[in-house]
Formats: sequence, C-alpha cells, structure tokens
Amino acid sequence: MTIMVRGLSAERSGRTILYPTDLDIKPGERVGLVGASGSGKSTLGHMLIDTLLAQGHSVAHVPQSPDEALDPLRSMRFHWQEAEQALRLPADTDRRMALFEALRIEGGDLSKRPWGWSRGMQQRFVIAMALLGTPDLLVMDEPTSALDPVVAAQMMALLDDYLAGGSTALMLITHDLGLAARRVSRLMVMDAGRVVEDAPSERLLTAPQTQAAQSLCAHRNWMKLPC
Amino acid sequence: MTRVVFGLFLRACVVLTGAAMATFALLWHAPGDPALAVALARYRTVVPDAVLDHVRAEAGFDAGYWPAFWDWLGPLLRGDFGQSAVTGRDVWPELVTAMSYTAPVALLALGIGMALSVPLALLATKRPGSWLDRFAVAIASLGVAIPAFWLGLLLILLFAVQLGWLPAMGARTTAHMILPAVTLGLGVAASLTRIIRSGILEARGKPFLPAFLRRGVSARGVQRHHIAPHAGVPVVTVFGLELAFLLEGLVTVEVIFSRPGLGGFLVSAISARDFPKVQAVVLVTALIFVTVNLLIDIIYRALDPRIGEQNA
Amino acid sequence: MLTVENVAVRRANTLALEGITLSLAQGRTLAVVGESGAGKSTLIGAILGLVPCAAGEIAWAGEPVRTYRPSLVMQEPRRAFNPRLSLRRSVCEPLVAQGLPRDEARLSRLCQGLEIQPDLLDRLPSQVSIGQAQRVGILRALIASPPLVLFDEPLSALDAVTQKHTARLIAELQSEEGFAALIVTHDLGYAAAYADEIAVLKAGKIVEGGPTAAFIDRPQTEYGKSLRNAAFALGALEQVA
Repeated sequence: MTIMVRGLSAERSGRTILYPTDLDIKPGERVGLVGASGSGKSTLGHMLIDTLLAQGHSVAHVPQSPDEALDPLRSMRFHWQEAEQALRLPADTDRRMALFEALRIEGGDLSKRPWGWSRGMQQRFVIAMALLGTPDLLVMDEPTSALDPVVAAQMMALLDDYLAGGSTALMLITHDLGLAARRVSRLMVMDAGRVVEDAPSERLLTAPQTQAAQSLCAHRNWMKLPC
Repeated sequence: MTRVVFGLFLRACVVLTGAAMATFALLWHAPGDPALAVALARYRTVVPDAVLDHVRAEAGFDAGYWPAFWDWLGPLLRGDFGQSAVTGRDVWPELVTAMSYTAPVALLALGIGMALSVPLALLATKRPGSWLDRFAVAIASLGVAIPAFWLGLLLILLFAVQLGWLPAMGARTTAHMILPAVTLGLGVAASLTRIIRSGILEARGKPFLPAFLRRGVSARGVQRHHIAPHAGVPVVTVFGLELAFLLEGLVTVEVIFSRPGLGGFLVSAISARDFPKVQAVVLVTALIFVTVNLLIDIIYRALDPRIGEQNA
Repeated sequence: MLTVENVAVRRANTLALEGITLSLAQGRTLAVVGESGAGKSTLIGAILGLVPCAAGEIAWAGEPVRTYRPSLVMQEPRRAFNPRLSLRRSVCEPLVAQGLPRDEARLSRLCQGLEIQPDLLDRLPSQVSIGQAQRVGILRALIASPPLVLFDEPLSALDAVTQKHTARLIAELQSEEGFAALIVTHDLGYAAAYADEIAVLKAGKIVEGGPTAAFIDRPQTEYGKSLRNAAFALGALEQVA
C-alpha cells in the first residue's frame, strides 16, 4: 500500500518551519530526506510519523541516538515486552531471535539495562524494536551520527540486508548526502521548510537543479579517490 | 552488590562510633559540674560537698575522660545501656517505654505526609504553571518555612482551645496522637510535595519519552513505567533527610504537647547530665537514622544501578 | 615541534593511554582517529596538562606545557562559551589570561578569515547558529597566536556542508598563521582530506600511524582497514573510476 499524506505543515512560535508538503512513498521504496541543519527535515519526519500513526498506518521511528529511545532505568527485556504489547503482538521468542540474529544482537543480555550494552548494540536493539511489527515505513533520523563509523557502517549494512526484498519502505533523514546517496533510490532535498527537489538519486546527484541540492552535492564527501 | 552493601555497612559503623564519641565528648566538656547537676536532679535540693563527691565517684566522673568513656562503652558493646545516674534504674526499659509513645506518632506523621504530598504533587503537575500548581507550591513553601513549635501551638489553639475537638496535652488516648502527628505530618508533606513535584516535572522532560509514545506505548503506560520510576529516584534520596527532620521535630512537638516520649526523655536527661540516658537516646536515634539510610542507599542502587557502578 | 614520548595515563587502575609516541612539527597537521573510548580526549587532556601522565613526557620544542600554552577547540561549540558573556568577551579571554594586549587588526583579520561578521561577536552564544559558534570557537583558539592548536572533534556537531566549509577555513588560516594542528576525530574522511599524518588510536594504544596518503591507500592493521571501509560505506570518502 502506497503511503500518501497531504498538506503536512508545522509552525513554531508563529513562524512557519514546514510549508504544506505532500508525500507519496511506495512499498519497499528507499527515500533520502536531506538538507542542512535547520532546514526542517526532522520536523517533516516527526509530522509524517505522527500523521501516519493517527491514520492507522504502521510506522516506526528510530531516533538519532539510543539515549532518545531507551529508558536507562528499565531492562532491555522490559523494553521489548512493552513494544510487543504496544503493537498487540503475542510474545514470540522465535520472532525475537530472528530479528536479533539479523541485527547481530543475539548475544545481548536482556536482563541488563541499556547502558549495560554497547552503543552500537543499543542502536540495533532500537531498530529491532522498530521492525517488530513489520511496519509500512521505517523513519530513521540521523541514525549514524551518534555512533562510531565502524559501528554505524555495520548497522547500515545489516539493516540493508534485512530490508532487502521486503515491503517496508525506508526514509533516511540526514544532513549528509554522502551517507544517503549510496542507500536510497530517491532523494528529497529540503531547504528552509520546503522540499525543493525530489528526484531519483542518479538524476539528483548528476544534475542538481536547486542551489540547496547543488551545495549538498558539492560537499557530499571529503575526498574522491581513484579506484 | 555484596561489596557495596558491605561498604555501606562499614560506613554505618563509622557513623555510630562517631556519634557515640561526639556526644560523650560534648556532655563531658559542657560547662558546669556534672555531679552537681546529677545531685540536684536526684535530691531536688542543694547538697553538701561530701554527697557531691559520692555522686562523682559513683557516676565515674572522677576517673578522668577516657576511663569514664571505656566504663560506659564496655557494657554497651555487650548490649547493656547501664543505669540512670539519677534514679539508678536501668535505662533500657525506660527507653523502650519512651519509644512506644514516640514511634506511633512518627509513623502516623510520615503517613499523613505521604497521604497529603503524593496527591498534591500529582495535582500540581497536571498543568505546570497553572494557578493550582502555584497554589500547591506556595502552600508547600509555607509549610517548610513554618517551624513545628509555632504550628503546634496554633493547632492547639484552634482544635483544643477554640473548638475543643481534640485533646492537646498528654498521651492517654489514641486521640491524643492526632494533633502532634498532624503538626509533624504537615511539615513532612510540605517538603515531600516539593520534591515529588520537581521529580515528576524533571522525569517528564526526559528525552526518550516521545520515542515510547511513537512506539505505541499508551500515555498511561509511559507515566507508570517510565515517568514514575524516574520521579521516584530523587524522592527516595530525600527520604533520609526527611527522617532527620522528623526526629528533630519530634523532640519539640513532644515537649509542646507534653507527651512522654523520646523528646521529653532526652530533654530531662540532658538537664540532669544523666550521661547513660542521653547516650542511649543518641545511639538509638543514630541507629535508626543509619539503618534507614542504609536501606535507602540499597533501594536507590536497585532503582538506578548506575550509581553503584560509578562508586564501585 | 610537539613531542609526545612514550606517554601513559592511568585512569581508575587501568591504563587509558599506553606507550603513546607522537611528533608534530610547526605548520603541520596530525589527525588522531579512533572510536569513542579509545582515549582520544584523554590524549588531548594530557597534552593540555590537565591529565597527569603516569609515564613519559610531553613537550613543545623542549619546553613543558605551562610555557607554550596550546589552545583548544571543543566539540560542542555552544557549550564552550560562558552563556552570559558576549562572544567578544569570550574571544578575548585568552588575551586577558595571558596578559596580552588586544590587537584589533588581528581580530578583524581573523574574523575575515573565518567569515565572522563583526557584529556577530556582540551577541550571546545562544543567539548564533552552531556553525557560527564553532567558527567563533576557532577564533578564540587562535587569538593569542598559539604555536599548537588542539581540535577535539571540531566538526561533529555541524552538518555535512558546514563541516567541509569550516574545515577549509581552518586549513586556510593554518597556512597563514603556521600553527601546528592536532585534530582528534572519528571521521576518517576529514582526516584523509586535511591531515599530513594519521595516527589510529585503539584501546589506549596507537595501533597504526604514518603519512595520510599511505594509510588511506593501504592500511596495515585490521582495525585500520575497517575504519577505511566504514569511511567508504558511509560516504565520507568516495572511490571514482
């Protein structure tokens, strides 16, 4: 089922931070939402999630850092059970083990609290919780910025493998076009509260139309190296 | 965990020893002749020097500081609190009687404090900044500022003198407990309300809460399983301080309401320089204090084990 | 010339740093890369003289830290300033601390180099963007002409475009001013683009080090390889045909 939302907008203290925006996301599609900080991309992400949840879609959110997703006083098992109950799913050890294996956290001690796990494992646990209900859309907000690069790269690779061929669409919100470029088929560029460009990745990377997109493309990586 | 508990236990022992040595030193070095104070309390009149010498020798005041200290400490380690310097009767049974009057009032006060503060704090945090919240904060601040002796007298004037609903003096019936317990309980409620309120407000601002709501956890579930424990951590911490406040308030309140309890026991013992009695009260209160704080530390660590990890 | 000679730092009975040997010449850039917890910030603390060394020696041209006064650019630009002081007063703090006169010409030259509008300095830290705050942070680090500037994750709070822009401004100022730069970062892309040499820190030890080009071309250790691969996977570095 294609996800469709119309006229998402947001204001903060009288100032428009997101102008009316329409979005269509096909099943299994990979979309990158890129823009400078303050361009309104996180706001769009949050509005999208809250609107879709209100419409009864199944959407999951992975915040930037595990600190924004896990309660330090509660055990990992508690988090997992709570997530299952929130989705009205029966407790299922096989499903849990399958997800944990796919995200390489099967060795984690569920009786521990979040800070008993490494940050990389915490983040993958959050992703596992997000994937628990096989959502129509998974929204990831700067998923790599709170992690060390090696750990972040591993996480993105595991997630790519898990999502491949499934119907869960992915929206990757990031300021880093270099990160998004390799993982999404469609790129949306935000600037000052508006989606100013929306094109297949190939086209946007080779022929960016707007100034915001051109700036992102020009600074998409630190160095180009010959093969 | 065992190591942590052992460490806390060791700390408790140090505190108790310190309390014992400090009170002994204070009493010993206080100005005036202790023998004279004991003799006055015993015979209620001026006595000749020969009697004073007798009292001095009997109470061990003439042996010097350290022998007197060891004389007192030795039996104590075997569980013997000794005899009153004034009456010669065993201290322990008298102390137990005093405590049997004090403990119910203390517990009732604590109960009143909890029963008032939790709903008040919940009500105040429903809409932070609303008039209700401000009113609760104002009342709580006022409650912390008002001393127990003044509040006690006001309550006596209103409920005992004007309205005649409740008895003010003594401890004959259960009704006699109400005014002293309310006096203390209001003070406890005032400070607890402030702590619980700020604990809830702080817990509500935790950055991970929106993620739980987006995950589909109900607002009620978030409140019960995530906000409540975070709000509880500071409350548990403050409980130890609350107990100190309560013990301190008890002495004043018992004197105001002429209740025969630890307060009266302590005041009369101090004015008579009755060393064994004073020491017994101090040690027992210190023991209660240390035990409660030990429990609080353990609960605190169970609630939030990060604290233990950092200390270990 | 900064020399770090066989330095060890003890933290709670374990060695946070062990056998660290580095050297950094005037005008050159050294990047220390590694994961969080590897000891990068401890190394900065040791060079600043804030963390005592259990063994080894740190010196600038034979002099101890106290005399050569390195400066520091911090990770969180807004938190690096006193929130109640105007940025101008914060920027002049190093001059006041060292009893140096205020050189308006130098200040405006540095402002120009860092693309800081002069009126920006009259604002409070909370009234500027993170990118602007970080440029002011760099200005403060450079105002007293230190021979050595330490950068502790200077770009990680900024967005991708601002990161590259700020890195270029730093490099341009470095070639004008000639300070030595020690950059601690987890971003191998930044290190690859701007450092002359790279040292890889893992669990308190330098596991690999050398000229940047050689490291990027052919890392010697497993960990070095995984760092490099991660930089490619996350798009910090890109291979083109």
